[in-house]
Amino acid sequence: MDTIIGYLNNMFAALPKTAQIEGVKQDLLASMEEKYRELKEEGKTENEAVGIVISEFGNIDELMEELDIAVEGEEGILPVLAPEDTWDYMVAKKKAGFMTGIGVMLCLIGPALLILLHVLAETGFLQGILSEDAAGILGVVALLILVALAVGLFIFSGMMLENYKYLHKGFNLPHHLRSEIQQRSSAYASTYTLSLVMGVCLCVLSPVPVIAESLINNDSSGYGVVLLLSLIAVAVFLFIYYGNIKESFSFLLKEGEYTREK
Amino acid sequence: MISSDVIRGYNDTFILYLLLDGESYGYEIAKNIRKLSDEKYIMKETTLYSAFTRLEKNGYICSFYKDETQGKRRTYYRITPEGLAYYHEKCAEWLITQEVVNKFIKEL
Repeated sequence: MDTIIGYLNNMFAALPKTAQIEGVKQDLLASMEEKYRELKEEGKTENEAVGIVISEFGNIDELMEELDIAVEGEEGILPVLAPEDTWDYMVAKKKAGFMTGIGVMLCLIGPALLILLHVLAETGFLQGILSEDAAGILGVVALLILVALAVGLFIFSGMMLENYKYLHKGFNLPHHLRSEIQQRSSAYASTYTLSLVMGVCLCVLSPVPVIAESLINNDSSGYGVVLLLSLIAVAVFLFIYYGNIKESFSFLLKEGEYTREK
Repeated sequence: MISSDVIRGYNDTFILYLLLDGESYGYEIAKNIRKLSDEKYIMKETTLYSAFTRLEKNGYICSFYKDETQGKRRTYYRITPEGLAYYHEKCAEWLITQEVVNKFIKEL
């Protein structure tokens, strides 16, 4: 009997769980249960009884049609992805990831540069080239320019993905394309893990320059902070760039956070 | 065994016929169809419940719950006056169908 219940659950798994459908399912189960019981009473074996009940179940599409469930139709409306569109999307996603990564990096390098210029002027490295005030102003200007560049990159990468917005409404992936993406995705897994490990290591190690500096000379001048920011900038870039590539896979395969709710 | 394609148009008629004498429920109807057809036609489960849905949508039958002795709730069906009219219509249609098809049947 468990086989029959499992079979029925399976047949109904893809259908929406409305009260009407639940009702029909219960009625079907009651019918199948009764048939099964009678077959057993007639002296049929468990296997024979289950086999007969399941063979007389029929075609679920027929029922769906009557219940006005347009599961097939709805799927039909969704665009079927062509290989070119899919690869284009992946390239765009990768480029967008690269630009966003660089943008965030610039946002971190700006303050680092500001601090660096300040420290250089303070310690007298820039004597004769730049006054301390000029170095400060130059640092702020550089920071603003870098942030402006970053914002430009963010907007540009956002626009690049705009073309693929329709994909978020749902799509169908042809079988062969899916398996190809799956292959690429598993091939990419190790690269992604490596980038993740490197990024995390960089984050963990980033305070080291600051600590080292304060150990070497007591009045830490700020070079350590510059290095800390730079290390974090590289780490963040790794997370964003490789993360975006990974995301394009999971999005196309509807895995992880993109799993479609049923 | 009759193929379901041939008989499709008359599934509703079978069900309505079995409801003429009073209310009944899914499995009983399925069993009676099988018995009356001398095991020559077994209506598939989904065909049966599609027909129930369709007939009820058209107002030819109505459904209601009845509690069974084992404490289970069972869906019963009853024929409506519209259903009865439809049944007569189908009977008349069959007579004509039979007459026409018979003209093309020859024993060889």
